[in-house]
Amino acid sequence: MAPKAIASPIPDSLYPTLSVFTLAIGLILTASFFIYEATSSRKTRNLTQELATGAVASVFLGFGSLFLLLASGVYV
Amino acid sequence: MAMEPLLRIGVLFLFLHLSVLVNSSPSHHLQIINAERRIDLTSHIIKVYLTLKVENLGTSPTSEVRLAFSPAEAEHLAVVKAAVTTGKRKKKTYVPLDVKPVGPPDGPNGTKFFSVTLLTPLGKGETTTLEVLYILTHSLEPFPVEISQSESQLVYFRDSAILLSPYHVKQQTTFIKTPRSRVESFTVVEPTKRAGTELKYGPYDDHTPYSYSPVLVHFENNNPFAVVEELEREIEISHWGSIQVIERYRLTHAGARHKGVFSRVEYQTRSGASGVSSFKHLLAKLPPRVHSVYYRDEIGNISSSHLRKDFLKSELEFEPRYPLFGGWKSTFLIGYGLPLQDFLFESPDGKRYLNFTYGCPLSDTVVDKLIIKVVLPEGSKDPAAVIPFQVDQHLETKYSYLDIVGRTVVVLEKKNVVPEHNIPFQVYYNFNPIFMLAEPLMLASVFFLLFAASVAYLHVDLSIRKS
Repeated sequence: MAPKAIASPIPDSLYPTLSVFTLAIGLILTASFFIYEATSSRKTRNLTQELATGAVASVFLGFGSLFLLLASGVYV
Repeated sequence: MAMEPLLRIGVLFLFLHLSVLVNSSPSHHLQIINAERRIDLTSHIIKVYLTLKVENLGTSPTSEVRLAFSPAEAEHLAVVKAAVTTGKRKKKTYVPLDVKPVGPPDGPNGTKFFSVTLLTPLGKGETTTLEVLYILTHSLEPFPVEISQSESQLVYFRDSAILLSPYHVKQQTTFIKTPRSRVESFTVVEPTKRAGTELKYGPYDDHTPYSYSPVLVHFENNNPFAVVEELEREIEISHWGSIQVIERYRLTHAGARHKGVFSRVEYQTRSGASGVSSFKHLLAKLPPRVHSVYYRDEIGNISSSHLRKDFLKSELEFEPRYPLFGGWKSTFLIGYGLPLQDFLFESPDGKRYLNFTYGCPLSDTVVDKLIIKVVLPEGSKDPAAVIPFQVDQHLETKYSYLDIVGRTVVVLEKKNVVPEHNIPFQVYYNFNPIFMLAEPLMLASVFFLLFAASVAYLHVDLSIRKS
């Protein structure tokens, strides 16, 4: 069996586009999180919804910032 | 009881005697019918091509042929390669042979041996032809030791007119090729002939083992004596799709030292006659599909470089900040990125390996000390390097971006490296792709902590007065 070349899981030419989109989604979710925090009162707030929005936003921001690092040439 | 120590001593002597017999046996059986040596002195890396026609005179077949080197040669020896020729004339093919240094005991006057193992043992009365290539570095001694800007560089080369060999040599000839026809002086060992750029010593008949006849050739050599005192190449693997290489050079001109002042005007206007032994252009051969190349030093970017790319290789032509004269030094660094899929592979047993070229990318350069550091991704296990020659290996840990436990670094060190060492080597390691998710999850958890902190802040009532 011939040795198989290992490539990155995502083609590296896609990193800039991916970072723009994931960061955009992440920032929109962050914005909605803070809008929710600011508009709801202490009694109407739902902890699970807050944490769920935060978790999804942080995943998008996390991957977005990783793709941004990769796109700018910082290969981690 | 008193007999036992005596017996032991007797056995010891027997063993010693046997080992002496084993060590001295090759020189008795073999004979070199014809030896032709071609010494190429055109650059500062001395290449010697040796053709030996060996005959076995003994009764028992032998598969070992020994090459002998004087202590001075052995010290500067970078490469010894041997091959055997098969086929006739146009269908000639070279089969490489195994060459190993032989440990003590040394021969007379500290002669060092290398042993060539033949493919098939040489029977009684049989002959074989060996092609040997060996490379010497730092063996041209500049004389005069110091030259001014307008002078040309003259060097001494010391060798023997007669091949140093543990065997009886029937007939031999030595050819020395100098870069230019200007030869100041040379030792005459009759018959010696000089024509143009070639000096011919021999043919000499019937020389006993370990014959030596020192010769000294004093000639002009203005080729750049580019020596990298220390080169550190750091190869960082990222499974996210890139290999980053950083090369730190400490370059020096190892020729005759520069004397007096340096006149930039004279150097620039009379470029053919002034500073002939100096050099200002360097050529680095980089792999194809190289990207984000940079060339800088402590002060900052150096703009005098050109990159040419094609499908087989990339060539980086660059100039140090100043032309290098004898004894002058320059420190700089070159960095570049390479696509991962060209160098990283998965072997059938599931291991990953990096396939990269050893050696220095600069052409015609000697590296006194080469340090290659392969930085494996975080979470790799069991690193193992496979290199076709002897190197010093050890492991280190390096911390880079988003690292917690640190990256394993395989350090490969070798002294006296010449362009012939530019051959591929492999570093094998185990890596679980799940570790690739460590970095994004780390970033995500940082963001999540931020959100959790703001949630906690808004849920906790910190006011003193009850609302």
